[in-house]
Amino acid sequence: MRPFKFTTVSDISSATNSVAGKPNARFLAGGTNLLDLMKEDVERPEELIDITRLNLTQIKPLTDGANEIGISIGALGKNTDAANHPLIRQHYPLLAQAILAGASGQIRNMATNGGNLLQRTRCPYFYDVAMPCNKREPGEQPGCGAREGINRMHAIFGWSEKCVAVHPSDMAVALAALDAVIKVRSASGPERIIALADFHRLPEDRPEIDTNLRPGELITAIELPKNRFAEKSYYLKVRDRSSYAFALISVAAALELDGNRIVQARIALGGVAHKPWRALKAEQLLVGQEATEANFKRAAEAEMADAKPLEHNAFKVELGKRSMVRALQVALTGNRS
Amino acid sequence: MQEKNKVTGTPVSRIDGILKVTGKAAYATDYPVKNIAYAVLFKSTIAAGTIRSLDTGPAEKSPGVLAVITHKNAPKLKIDGGIRGGALLQSPKIEFHGQHIGLVVAETYEQARHAARLVKVEYIKSEPRVDFEKLSKEAVLPKDKEKADAKRGDAKAALQNAEFKVEAVYGTPIEHHHPLEPHSTIAEWQGENVVLYNSSQIVNGAQMAAAATLNIKPENVRIVSPYIGGGFGSKGGQWANLVLTAVAAKVVNRPVKLALTRQQMVNSVGLRQKNHQKVSLAATKDGKLTALAHETTTHCAIENEFVEPCGDCSKIMYEVPNSLITYRVVPMNLILPTYTRGPGKSTGSFALESAMDELAYQLKMDPIEFRLKNEPTRDPSNGKPWSSRTTVQCLQEGAKAFGWEKRKAEPRQNQQGNFLIGYGVACGTYPAHQRPSSARVSLNRKGNAITARVELAAADLGTGTHTILAQTAADALGLPLNQITVKLGDSDLPPAAGAVGSVGASSYANAVHDACVKLTDELIAKSGKQFFVRPTAAQLMVSENVADYQTRVDAKPPANADQYSSHSFNANFAEVRVDIATGMVRVTRFLAVTGAGKILNPKTARSQIIGGNVWGIGMALTEESVVDPRWGNFVTRSFGDYHVPANLDIGAMEAIFIREDDRASNALGVKGIGEVGIVGVAAAVANAVFNATGKRVRELPITPDKLL
Repeated sequence: MRPFKFTTVSDISSATNSVAGKPNARFLAGGTNLLDLMKEDVERPEELIDITRLNLTQIKPLTDGANEIGISIGALGKNTDAANHPLIRQHYPLLAQAILAGASGQIRNMATNGGNLLQRTRCPYFYDVAMPCNKREPGEQPGCGAREGINRMHAIFGWSEKCVAVHPSDMAVALAALDAVIKVRSASGPERIIALADFHRLPEDRPEIDTNLRPGELITAIELPKNRFAEKSYYLKVRDRSSYAFALISVAAALELDGNRIVQARIALGGVAHKPWRALKAEQLLVGQEATEANFKRAAEAEMADAKPLEHNAFKVELGKRSMVRALQVALTGNRS
Repeated sequence: MQEKNKVTGTPVSRIDGILKVTGKAAYATDYPVKNIAYAVLFKSTIAAGTIRSLDTGPAEKSPGVLAVITHKNAPKLKIDGGIRGGALLQSPKIEFHGQHIGLVVAETYEQARHAARLVKVEYIKSEPRVDFEKLSKEAVLPKDKEKADAKRGDAKAALQNAEFKVEAVYGTPIEHHHPLEPHSTIAEWQGENVVLYNSSQIVNGAQMAAAATLNIKPENVRIVSPYIGGGFGSKGGQWANLVLTAVAAKVVNRPVKLALTRQQMVNSVGLRQKNHQKVSLAATKDGKLTALAHETTTHCAIENEFVEPCGDCSKIMYEVPNSLITYRVVPMNLILPTYTRGPGKSTGSFALESAMDELAYQLKMDPIEFRLKNEPTRDPSNGKPWSSRTTVQCLQEGAKAFGWEKRKAEPRQNQQGNFLIGYGVACGTYPAHQRPSSARVSLNRKGNAITARVELAAADLGTGTHTILAQTAADALGLPLNQITVKLGDSDLPPAAGAVGSVGASSYANAVHDACVKLTDELIAKSGKQFFVRPTAAQLMVSENVADYQTRVDAKPPANADQYSSHSFNANFAEVRVDIATGMVRVTRFLAVTGAGKILNPKTARSQIIGGNVWGIGMALTEESVVDPRWGNFVTRSFGDYHVPANLDIGAMEAIFIREDDRASNALGVKGIGEVGIVGVAAAVANAVFNATGKRVRELPITPDKLL
């Protein structure tokens, strides 16, 4: 790999100060994605700032003084610890399921919660420096290898001619469904709070930019508001092998019911877009309706009506519908078998 | 299988197991060679054309760099010296994407890898031939005489008139071997001699190929390869990386280490080619096969041909009066295909055994019964008697053990909640051969303590060869297992066959056994005594007061071996669970029943069989190397993209061995199990998927999208 400078920091302000004004510096947390990309010469940072000593690992309840209003998940906590934390298991099982659906045990033991959000697409054209990729080489505008290439794993929503890649995270899909917010700090200015829905972006004309994080910003925590979905939620991941494979389609589904009437529905899809894809159309169709398979189907069909598949991924439209219905059914009944 | 008081046939744990799990077993690049430099290969980014210019200046100036070697400055090598796949840096010509075009040698691995990226290459591109779907129409008869059209009777005519028939094309994708240990070498020159620590399935083959290619004598090349971290055929023939390491070490006048990266594995060490197999089967109403045509279309490299024998199973599996086996091949700008576990048989059996299942369904006949009705009494391809054939036992014992009677004849009849359950069966076979191998056995006595050393240039792929040879020697010498040392994988030892084509166990065990018998005979002769009960070598060492004794044997297969048709056989049973909504398939139970002669060690044998089964399940469900048809690059270059099965993909695995004593095959009756374990597996899974869902998937792998 290319030579780089390695800096260790021990608190938030020295971390943000170290990176300020250095567009080619990167924070290093779990390193499960960044180091791979550096070895492949895809990421070429001049400096790595090791933030693993920062005290940002706790998972704790959020209160407004009197009542619990949610949960805060430290950005540098490990994915494994988040998935197994009793508060998350009890109140946000959807998140635990999503984390455990991702990567492998070894990777989850290293990967951090903040880093999970920042992992980059697994598009093979992005990973192979011999291939054209607008995301990897933005200045030269070499074209998108996947647009007319092997795009079975790629987007069916929100892609552009410049980029058809999908975001690889499972965790982020559950966070999208659960209305998470991301807290960030920088050397200049106060703490900023970004809704997860606004955190990742669509590729448009700037596929090299994955998120709306500004240069120099450090994720400190992920916060989830309190909800009533714990009883009725499910994360379904459809993939080519049972573990350590990225999603063909994944669905984070959550329902809040009054009797059998849907008070709130949350559906987010993975493996379909450059960001976790919140199925707002389907959600809106379900609110106020009875929780029935027929209504799930109608909502899924409405959502998928807008899909624009590529040459090799038309199956994702049908698979997406089926998976949404299945995930909602399991969320409703709790019966996975 | 165990004989009284014998250690052979017992489930002994690997004698090298502790060394391996504690990291003490030295693999090729583990050797503590001093003053080592590191080489990293760099590769072409086009699939066809010529290198117009190479700018190696920035790389040469990069910190730590000792040399940059390209076709412009590489020493002259013999390109047809036995190294497979070209890419020896002898010309600017590019024949496939990712062809080696040079290597950087530096003080550290990181420096070499970095500098390799600084080389600037300009090409004159030509149109690459990489789109198999288009090019397969241009395929022609292979040059290889063994792939000539093989006709018996008139299959086409019989098919035309048949009342019951299946005619379908079965597709298998490119697969890669992807052993966990990527190909790796340390080269160390000592004057005219070079030692190559290198992961080699054929130790003497690697020695010959390296010597010929380097234009030196075989005795100047020593291969050291005691342990291999998997090979699956890709370390049988040797590839350019072996010789280029020696070249690099010569150029920098220091030992050099070169290990391929996982990404480099896709276009450095061969692959299993993509096959289109048209299988046509015809049968009478009562299930007698009347015709079998197996027509394979595949690809090879631009300059060199390799065609895996997909029609081999079809030649011998069933009694059929009209048979046609053909091959057509088209050269493409891809690396040379090569031997890959169960070459031809694993892929060929997918086509044949799927078609058998399709025809059984059409006949409304149980697929086991259908196969039993077409069991040949002799090898149908050459009329020779079988040395032994266990297909019937494999099917019958397997059916009983698996609970085949619970299978529903019609698909989609077994639904459990969100899942459809299906059962599938398929047969497999692989030839059993003994190859010439030598072995040396040495005994040493200190007081009453006797130890033995067994030496031959055999290869242990990680399958337990050290262990089975220690077991063989222990029984033949009359010594306990822990008194035996086995030394393999060094070309300085007596020459031996490769661990390829399932010949390892029979070739090596017979050689070691013969050497032990010969040693005992010699000690008896030396004693000048007559014994009523034959003493063991161990007893003779004591009674005759011998301190050291050794002998060597050059073992050969039995003289009459080719009067028989000798093969291992199996029957594979799969139970699958298919998610109705998502199409995800899980193999919940798998049983392989195998007749492979004498099983020297049921524990390592079981591991090897279920290892083959796991790869077969991968072949069925997950594994596919995908080429971009515009540029000829692989888009599946990592374990994240090339899906070998994970633990969660594998359900309950069971292996049963049929007890048999096949001395016609070879003196010990050992037939080999490395290849047969994968043969028939993919078809058993695909047939189970059909039984579950009613969907016949003829294009592997069976990914969820194919079942929607």
